[in-house]
This record gives sequence, C-alpha cells and structure tokens, in this order.
Amino acid sequence: MGVFKLASCDGCQLTLLGCEDELLALAERVEIAHFPEASSRLDPHGTFDLVLVEGSVSAPFQRDELLSIRARAKKLVTIGACATSGGVQALRNGRDVKGFIASVYATPEYISTLDDSTPVSAHVPVDYELRGCPIDKRQLIEVLTALLVGRRPNIRDESVCMECKRQGNMCVLVTRDEPCLGPVTHAGCGALCPSFDRGCYGCFGPKEQAKTSALAARFQRDGMVPVELVRRFRGITAGAEAFKKEGERHE
Amino acid sequence: MRRIDRSQLEQLCHLAQRDGRTLIGPTVRDGAIALAPITTAADLPVGWTDVQAPGRYRLSRTQGQRAFDFVVGPNSAKEQFFKPREPLYRAERRADGRVGFVAIVPEPEKRALLGVRACDLAAIAVQDAVFVEGAMRDPRYASRRADTLVIAVHCTRAGSLCFCASMGTGPKVNSGADLALAEREHDLLIEALTPAGEALLAQLSSEEASGEDLRWLDESVESARASMGRHVDTRAVHERLFAQLEHPRWKEVADRCLSCGNCTSVCPTCFCSTTEDRSDLDGSTAERDRLWESCFSREHSELHGHAVRGSTEQRYRQWLTHKLGAWVSQFGASGCVGCGRCIAWCPAGIDLTEELAALSTSDARALMPVAAPCAEEGRDEAMVPSPARVLSVTRESSDVVTLALAIDEPRPFAPGQFYQLSIPGIGEAPISVSGRDGAGVEHTIRAVGSLTRALCELSPGSELGVRGPYGRGWPMRELAGAPVVVVAGGIGLAPLREALRQMLADPQQYPDVRLFYGARTPEDLLYAREMLGWTDRRGFQLSITVDRSSPTWRGNVGVVTRLLKRSTVPDAARAILCGPEVMMRFTIQALARLGVTHDRIWLTMERHMKCATGHCGRCQFGPYFVCKDGPVFRYDEVASLFGRDGI
Repeated sequence: MGVFKLASCDGCQLTLLGCEDELLALAERVEIAHFPEASSRLDPHGTFDLVLVEGSVSAPFQRDELLSIRARAKKLVTIGACATSGGVQALRNGRDVKGFIASVYATPEYISTLDDSTPVSAHVPVDYELRGCPIDKRQLIEVLTALLVGRRPNIRDESVCMECKRQGNMCVLVTRDEPCLGPVTHAGCGALCPSFDRGCYGCFGPKEQAKTSALAARFQRDGMVPVELVRRFRGITAGAEAFKKEGERHE
Repeated sequence: MRRIDRSQLEQLCHLAQRDGRTLIGPTVRDGAIALAPITTAADLPVGWTDVQAPGRYRLSRTQGQRAFDFVVGPNSAKEQFFKPREPLYRAERRADGRVGFVAIVPEPEKRALLGVRACDLAAIAVQDAVFVEGAMRDPRYASRRADTLVIAVHCTRAGSLCFCASMGTGPKVNSGADLALAEREHDLLIEALTPAGEALLAQLSSEEASGEDLRWLDESVESARASMGRHVDTRAVHERLFAQLEHPRWKEVADRCLSCGNCTSVCPTCFCSTTEDRSDLDGSTAERDRLWESCFSREHSELHGHAVRGSTEQRYRQWLTHKLGAWVSQFGASGCVGCGRCIAWCPAGIDLTEELAALSTSDARALMPVAAPCAEEGRDEAMVPSPARVLSVTRESSDVVTLALAIDEPRPFAPGQFYQLSIPGIGEAPISVSGRDGAGVEHTIRAVGSLTRALCELSPGSELGVRGPYGRGWPMRELAGAPVVVVAGGIGLAPLREALRQMLADPQQYPDVRLFYGARTPEDLLYAREMLGWTDRRGFQLSITVDRSSPTWRGNVGVVTRLLKRSTVPDAARAILCGPEVMMRFTIQALARLGVTHDRIWLTMERHMKCATGHCGRCQFGPYFVCKDGPVFRYDEVASLFGRDGI
C-alpha cells in the first residue's frame, strides 16, 4: 500500500496513524511501502496493490504525479474532502486566482498554481471514495478490510439523517431551526455534529439526489439571508457540484 | 373503569418495573419528548406539551401538572422491538474445522411501555403483522416483543398534525393494551383491558369511576376526534393510489423532497432494513448486522449495481404507494396510522395528507390483489445460514459456473425457488436452484459482483453458508397436461433447468415441451451438452439463437423473440419465461400474438431479495414481495406494473 498526498493538510493520512488499535493487525496484512507522514523509508516510484490519495489537484505538477500514481496502482482510493471534491481550496474556482496570489504572496512569480482545485476523479478513475474532512476512521478501516477479503465496502451513500435517526438523536433542525446540512449530506461520519447538538456543515459533501434547493428553501423560511446561505453551501466541499450550484443560486 | 389520584402514577411506575421489567416511557430530552427507559413518575414530562407543524416541533410549558399533555414525539415503540442496528449472526471456525454460523438472538426481554397512544398501538399491531404473524417469524423482534406490558393513554386532545380519526386507529384506546389511562388535571381514569392489567390495577388505590367521569371521557375523546389537525379520505385509497402512478404531483413533490429518509425513520410502522457484513482485519471472524434502511436511499432499490428507483420522484411514489396502498394488499391494513410524525419531522415540511389530497384528483381505481391470510403456522426465520460444502464445480462459460452443494439438513426444494448463498465477511445473494445432482443442490452463478465472483472461485470442498429454499416456484401442476413453451434468455435458463428436467422425465404429464433459448454468444450457451441429450426425447423441440455469432456458429442469430415469431404454438399452450426484463416484455407480446393469454404465462421477477423472509422490504414490487409472493408470478398478476420505470 502506498499513501500519497496532493494539495491537502495531511489530516486524512493522520487518520490512518490514528487507527491505533488496528494498526498492528493492519501491518500484518499489508505492507505499507510508501507513507511519508509515518516513515522516512519511501518507495515513491514503486507499484502498489492499493494507493490512498489525499488532496486535490491544485498545481500542474500534481496532475502529472497523479497520472503516474494511477498507472502504478491496482486500486486507488481517494481519502477526504480535498481528494473527492477539491476541498476548501476549491473556493477559488471561478474567481480571480491571479488577484488572490498577488494579494497574498510577496513574490507571486514563484507561485505555480492551476485556476481550479479539482478532485482526483476529475483526472483518473477512482475505485472508492472516502468523504469527509477529515475522513472517518471506521470507514477507512472498513475499506481496507473489505479490499483485503474481497467484499464491497460498506460505504453507504444515504443521508446523514439516516445515521442520526438510527442513533436516536433529536433533530436539531426540526426542534430548534438549527441550520443542518444533514438531509443533503453524504453519510459516513456517524452523524458526528448532530450528536454533539450542532448542525451538520456538510464536510462529507452532497449525497446522491441531494435536493439542496429544498433545504435552502427551508433555511430561508427560518430567516436565513442569502449571504449566509451562500456560506452554508460554500464550505469545505464547495467544489462538489450540488453545493457549488446551490451557492451560486444565492449569490 | 376506575379513578386514581395523580399520586398513584408513582405507584404505577413502580409496579410496572417489578420482576425486572424495564419501563419505557415519555421523558423530556434534547428539546423533545422522547421514549426512553424511566424509573419514576418524576421522569415523565410533567407540565410539558408539544406544538407541532410541518417540519417543526417545539416543547412548551403548560400551567398544569399533567404528565401526558402532549401527542407524539419522534420515536415510537418500533425501536424497542425492531432495533435501528443489531447483529444477526457471527461466522466462525468450529472445533471440527468447518465454518459455523452462530445466531445472535436476544434473550427474551420484559418491558413495560407507558403512555402509548392509540395510533401507536395500531402501529405495534402493524409491526407484529410484519415480523411475527406471517409465515416467517423474526425471532429477534419476537423475543423482545413477547413479554410487553402496555399502559396506554386515551387522547383527549388532538395535535395539529394528527389524523388517527381518519385512519380509524384513535383517539380512543380499544385494544392492544393492558391498561388504558385518561388523564385530567388532578386524577386519572384507568381501565384494565387484560388480566395482567387487572392484576396491576388491583394494587393501585382506586375508586369506581362515576357516571360523570365516564361522560367526561366520552366527551373528551369525541372532542379530540372532532378537532384532528389533519384529515385524509381513506376510501379505497390503495386502489386509487395505484391508479395514479403517472400523476404529475409525484414530480412536484420530488422538487420539495430531500430524500433524506427522516419520514421513514420516524414512521412507527416502516420496517425496511438492509444488512452489512463486517469482518476483522485478520479475517478470523465475520458478522452480519441488520440496520434500518429507507426507500428514499439509493441502495434500497439497487439491483446489479444500479437503482431501480433512481429518482426522488420514484422513491416518494414508492413510499406513499406502499404506506397507504401496497400495505393493504400485503398485510390487510394500512401502513399509516395517522400519527403525523412524518409531517413534523420532515425537514422540508412535506405533508402526507396534502400530497394524498393532491393525488386524489380522480376516482380511477387499480385492481389490487387481496392480502391472503397466512395459511401456515409461522416458523422462526433467524436469517442465519447453515453450513454447506461445494461438492463439484462445473464451468459453464467464461463467467458462469455451476456449484453442486451439500447442504446440512436440507429441506426439499421446488424448481424456480431460490437459496441465499453467503460467504462470511463478503456477503449474501439470492441464487435460483438450477437442479439436483445426486446429493447436491445445484446453483448456476454468473460472476457480476464481489460475492458472485467469490462464489465462482470456490472449489470442491470449499465451505459457504446457505439458507432456503425460499419463494414460489414454477407452477408444475398447472403446466401438466398442456403444451409448454419455455423461453429463456442468458443466465435465465438456470432457474428453468430443473423444471425442464422434471418435465422431460415425465412425458405423460408433459408430452409437448418447446424450449426457445437465446444467449449473447455461442460461448455463453449454458448446459449445451445436456441440452443435446434432451433433443432425443420425443415431443421436445429446441430452438437456440445468439445475439452475436462466432466463426463456427451455424445456428440462428438474433433475439429470442424472433425465433418465436417464426413459430406457431399449439392451442392452450402455457409459457414459462426467465430472462432480462426487456426480453420478457417482448416475449409476452410475441406470445400474445401466438394466442397465449396473460393468464397462461408465468415469469420470474428480478429484484434484490435481501432477507428472503418478507421482512426487509428490499424486493418489493408494487403490492408484492418478490421473495415470498414470487419470484415466479403469473403474468396477469403483475401485468399492470411490469416493465414500468421505477416500480
């Protein structure tokens, strides 16, 4: 197995190191051949049965690196919001990137970046996607276990609400109008935020059939102003199509 | 009818917990009235009421001291008996080295439910019908449900989203409880409905209710009935709904529907579930869990990797036509009890009663099958496989193999039935029986997904899990004495093979059998050698075609319906078909032109049978569960729905 990163904060790879109870069992079954965050013994040019890719394609060299990784990997699993939707850095998509660079960096000419931050799946075929910022540890273990035994991983593409209700949480949206993106967000976190009595902010990105307009209509009825609506959908997974479109609708 | 002082509620809570009984009652939690384990009357929501509107639920203080001055919270008795997630079994290596499957069934639990409303009593009865009163009984539900003491409360006030009066379930408690309470500011009326309730009531300090008390109760219940916040017209609603499958309202509601599944989660009768296989990293143990699922999730209608109901429009239609329509055919009662939870807890505030009214623009009615009462005594179905061993593996084509399996304690099977084959840690899939080979039960499997691939890679001696047989097979008795036309497409020949073998072995009963078989290529033809052997049998005709030819192929090329068009069939012929849905659709048309009417055609419906016991809802097809009502149907039973998108 190899662990590679593109434009990202390293938090999702860290989840792998955070699998403390399972790491030894994992190391028995899997040779971790390339994992810069954990080891200085590297094999960046090797071939792999499985590659975990973190981060989005944000700079030209990352595109080339990604194509090379894919060519050497039997299975490629993307981990996290950056790799699956472009990440928080996709907020720049469609904006004045040159202007941003000029206003942030003292020497803009040193910066080589693409206009858009894009997910891995925009460039190469992906076998499985793990959503989230960061990814969920149980989902990571599940995908690794499933690939080892040859099972389709249990990565459910339902709403966060399904997980929330199975846990017996009270709905924060219905009981006190707390803006919660759970109804349009991909499950997998175990309804983490609602379990701590706050609304989901959509870090797992849109679920399939995400009817964002219906949820936005609800937020509006509860008194949310357009600028706030834009912020709700334009967060960590701003580059995901359904959230991007909904943000644009209220601009 | 007796009267008790309010102070007796404490004694009631105490008595309800005797003999280690867990008391489940309403209590305030996180801004709502939840159902949870309680120990004393002080846990009850004294002085609280709920205010509900579409997509909105609020608690509000009252000036009084009533403990039951609310209608319903988000949870119901459902989760007490049908758990949101629970393990079904564990697979492990036995001492003799073989694979063992250990059922995980809870010990019988003693429960008392306090404060249950009439609508929820009806919901419990509905779930009982699903899980324990049919031909197959879920032992987990049964174990939790068996010893339940129910203390119900008459509704003397209706909520703004209530419509139990329309559904005929409330507001008065008539049955399904041991005790029924009616609460006033300072005292409660109490009535025992069962001997257990009488025994409990005898230990309370009570006095005979007066005529005035009884009048108060009647008037209060009547006033609740008259002030329901919602109303629906239930006259023949199941037949009317199925006549509106193409109504524009479905699309309209889909624009507002989040397909989040909140309605199905809070619904006290929704019973759909799915399973997940889990295993250790080292592969030493594997478990299978069952968890709540929703018809609003893509996976719920998944079949071979795509969703039968891909759009929210189709999913909403499934939810409503099942809840108020198909349910009546399946269980003889509506799946809606009028509690209003799906309206309050829908983040978008979609109002089922409003949608129903909008869909009721016409009085057109669809012909619906009538629920057949369960003929046989229920048998426990723990959904746990038995160990089986592969006796032989026959490679039929590049991606199809036939496994002959030795099954521990096999039950007899009929042609057309199916088994659930499983490999621990990988999954389970329904596979039709394709025949019997000595002691072995044969299954012909095409490698399409992870489980079927793993099955195709098994070798003689390999072990796996098997449960079954399930379902309704081919109508061998109805076919006897008549010419039989058999039409098969691709792997669809597998479920027909045993029927063919039985017919060919009995020329007196089945003198004229004609098989029309189409495959993709000559290499994909199944059982080629065996079929050649059949051609010696007098009265058997074989016509084969392939979609794509090969250099050595000298036979027909084209779809199987073209073979049929060139043929004639004898009068009174009967037909049995299995293949892709589109092939069966055209075959039925071709047969109709040849004079074979819909009531003389049988086919197998393909849906994902997950539990095979009629409990998980995955294989629903209109009013049917394909797993137990099918998979073989007479065509006229399904003609109005067959081939329609998103059913």
